[in-house]
Amino acid sequence: MQAKRKLTVCLAGNANVGKSAIFNQLTGLNQTIGNWPGKTVERAEGTLHFKGYTIRVIDLPGTYSMSAYSMEEVVSRDYIAVERPDVVVNVVDASALERNLYLTIQLLELNPPLVIALNQVDFAAKKGITVDTNKLSEMLGVPVVATVATTGIGMQELLSKVVEVAEKATRSTDIKYGQEIEASIEKLEVVVKTGLSRLSSRYPPRWIATKLLERDEDVCKKIELDKGDAIIFQATEIADQIEQIHGEPSSVVMASERYSLASRIARTSVRIISPPRVDMSQILDAVTAHKIFGYPVLAGVVASVFSIVFVAGNAMIGVLEGLFDLVLVPATRTLLSRALPPVVVQLISGGVVWGIGAAVTIVLPYIIPFYILLGILEDSGYLPRAAFLMDNVMHRIGLHGKAFIPLLLGFGCNVPACVGCRIMETDRERFLAGFVVTLIPCAARTVIILGLVGRYLGMAAALALYLFDLALVFLLGRVAFKILPGEPVGLIMEMPPYRMPAVKSVLKKTWARTKDFVYVAFPFIVGGSVVLQFLSVTGLISTVADFMSPLTTSWLGLPPIAGIPLVFGVLRKELTLVLLADLAGTFDFSSILTPVQMIVFAIVTMIYIPCVATIAALAREFGARRAAAVAVLDSILAVVVGGLAYHILSFAA
Amino acid sequence: MPEETDILELLEVAGTLSREGRSAQVIEIASCMHRTPDLTRQLIDAVLQRGLVLKTQNGVRLSEEGEALVRKHREEYVHRTYVHGRSLADRIRGVLEGRVTDWHGHWHRHGFDDESIQGFHRIMQNLQGRIEDTVSLADLPQGEKCTVVLAAGGHGMVRRLAEMGLTPGTEVRVVRSAPMHGPIEVSVRGVSLALGRGIASRVLVKRLRNSESSTST
Repeated sequence: MQAKRKLTVCLAGNANVGKSAIFNQLTGLNQTIGNWPGKTVERAEGTLHFKGYTIRVIDLPGTYSMSAYSMEEVVSRDYIAVERPDVVVNVVDASALERNLYLTIQLLELNPPLVIALNQVDFAAKKGITVDTNKLSEMLGVPVVATVATTGIGMQELLSKVVEVAEKATRSTDIKYGQEIEASIEKLEVVVKTGLSRLSSRYPPRWIATKLLERDEDVCKKIELDKGDAIIFQATEIADQIEQIHGEPSSVVMASERYSLASRIARTSVRIISPPRVDMSQILDAVTAHKIFGYPVLAGVVASVFSIVFVAGNAMIGVLEGLFDLVLVPATRTLLSRALPPVVVQLISGGVVWGIGAAVTIVLPYIIPFYILLGILEDSGYLPRAAFLMDNVMHRIGLHGKAFIPLLLGFGCNVPACVGCRIMETDRERFLAGFVVTLIPCAARTVIILGLVGRYLGMAAALALYLFDLALVFLLGRVAFKILPGEPVGLIMEMPPYRMPAVKSVLKKTWARTKDFVYVAFPFIVGGSVVLQFLSVTGLISTVADFMSPLTTSWLGLPPIAGIPLVFGVLRKELTLVLLADLAGTFDFSSILTPVQMIVFAIVTMIYIPCVATIAALAREFGARRAAAVAVLDSILAVVVGGLAYHILSFAA
Repeated sequence: MPEETDILELLEVAGTLSREGRSAQVIEIASCMHRTPDLTRQLIDAVLQRGLVLKTQNGVRLSEEGEALVRKHREEYVHRTYVHGRSLADRIRGVLEGRVTDWHGHWHRHGFDDESIQGFHRIMQNLQGRIEDTVSLADLPQGEKCTVVLAAGGHGMVRRLAEMGLTPGTEVRVVRSAPMHGPIEVSVRGVSLALGRGIASRVLVKRLRNSESSTST
């Protein structure tokens, strides 16, 4: 009897309700993070053992609704309806019950076996809000467990309820809407049951009927594939009637219905003990989202993030580079040269080991401190404030405030920034943000600007170059915004209250992101460096340099040897300086480059193809074709702008 | 000859009263319009003559022409006040557009789709009270409370707003606004939302006096 039994449980809920915190509490370190098949939507999965059960927990993306407007929503509802997990745990924020119940009601429409985790009851209590769990459970017809995810309160009870519901396989019951809506749904349900036997074996017929009434694009498409044109026609007629009565689009009518239900349930189960006082979060907001003081705070936050990243990064970089260049690369070389021909040894030591070294020396020094700080900023709730303040500026390049977040990431490293573009709503906005991000000077490019222009021509010149790049970003963003078809989308974003970030959660995020970075970037960096080693061993590198020389010498006005570092720079941008020093045999760049050449060199490195790791990230997020287009476009742009800079500057000089 | 604006006000008031099922006699209309009964009677006579209202045992109700006139007036008002008139460039564009004859095609140009135009028409028809009493959410000062009348835009935007809790009739409080035409932060159903200025300016609301606001969490 007590043989190992298996259960699948998924967590559903709004963003910012502590869903991930519950996931972490339940699964500890046994988690894998990846993407949903074929989608750029993150999928987190973990396992745990409880009362003889092996429970697989899947963390669905945070959504506010179950309509078909975003990939996250489609992924979530298809998972619940089609994969049919044994239990769905709906994580609900006790301090904003009404809004959270909107999703709960939509989950109930799918009638899965459901358990509600009423989370953040401590935070709600601080705001003077108590929720009567018995009453809530009675009204919704499903078990409700009060939890505090950050401290783990209620986790055992939650699991007991999950097992209980799974054992009885109790599916939640339907919720009833207003009369006319109910009548229309019932009418359509009959039609769906008889006319769409295949589809209604996958999804609950009542749910299909509701979605038809709302004119849900995804469901309509599925029905059309199922030869249900007549049914869609019938649904349209009924939806028209509803719209005639209510005077609003049927989707808005349904939203109003759900909200009025949510508000009724919330009103009967919530008690407000003390009148809401001005809390810490509001005091912080009065400064950080203030129309004047907000901006210096934002500038201060950004400046301190980057100074910390650079200080920490530079400290580590020296140690790690020494380890690889002085110890590991020579060590493999001497070890392998006993058994293998020198060409292969060169490929392995100079390609594979050196490539891993190059990757490690970027990952550890800059990325990790950056991810830690980012985690703190995210968990504290500051990023939406930054987006709020920057919305206006972002609109100038056709994006809205949320895009400021990936752009900010881009200054650290373009790879996580490309992934960060997922927060944008539409495909167009995602790609536009992704394109702009590749032009943001990342940590590696900043090193070049500082190490070449800053060191020899002064900080003012470096700053000017930086500003020039930002102006370029702005200009190109505007051009892309005009060229790409589609309407710009306005900002609609929740501003969650400020919270104290938890060390554990921040470290976990950092670890997951670093791992993700390693998977995306390492194969490309190592593979690329093997290819370049091969070119240099076979002597093809000089052919490449010769081939490029008309471009590098006559158009860009650079010395012939500068072409080679520019090619290598694809792997890792700050490498261009190291290589240039190698080839010239000196670290004193003023002896090989004129001031104008320095600026041109920096401009070209700054703009041309994002590094291989970024191209890989772009390909994963937007497809190979778009990634290639961005890479080619950036390269052409770099050559054009670099050449123009050379001709203009040398003319002026 | 009565002023056209007075006639429109009368039609909007009479329409609201009869839709609410209340009697629309001279005395009620006069009190709603803050006019003397005498003046009101003259106005009613004028609109009766033009066939814009019909006599019923309950006073008057709008004729089809009257309804159409009200709807057209409201549509034009929304177009002028919320869709244009946000910035100087917009205002100039509005003037250049001049008098619109093909409204359907025109709303399309403003990013509306068929579904939202239909919905918009219906709301304009059924709106209780005068269109001039509505304001744009973007124009409300900090701390002001209001209820949502409608969101004028493509159905994607309207639907997303509804899903985030901004359904018609919902109470909203303006928390703060960002400078230089930045977004505004509103509190709705116990949650803070940031809305871009463009979106906020297309959300029509009715101001709430403090006594009217319900105690919500």
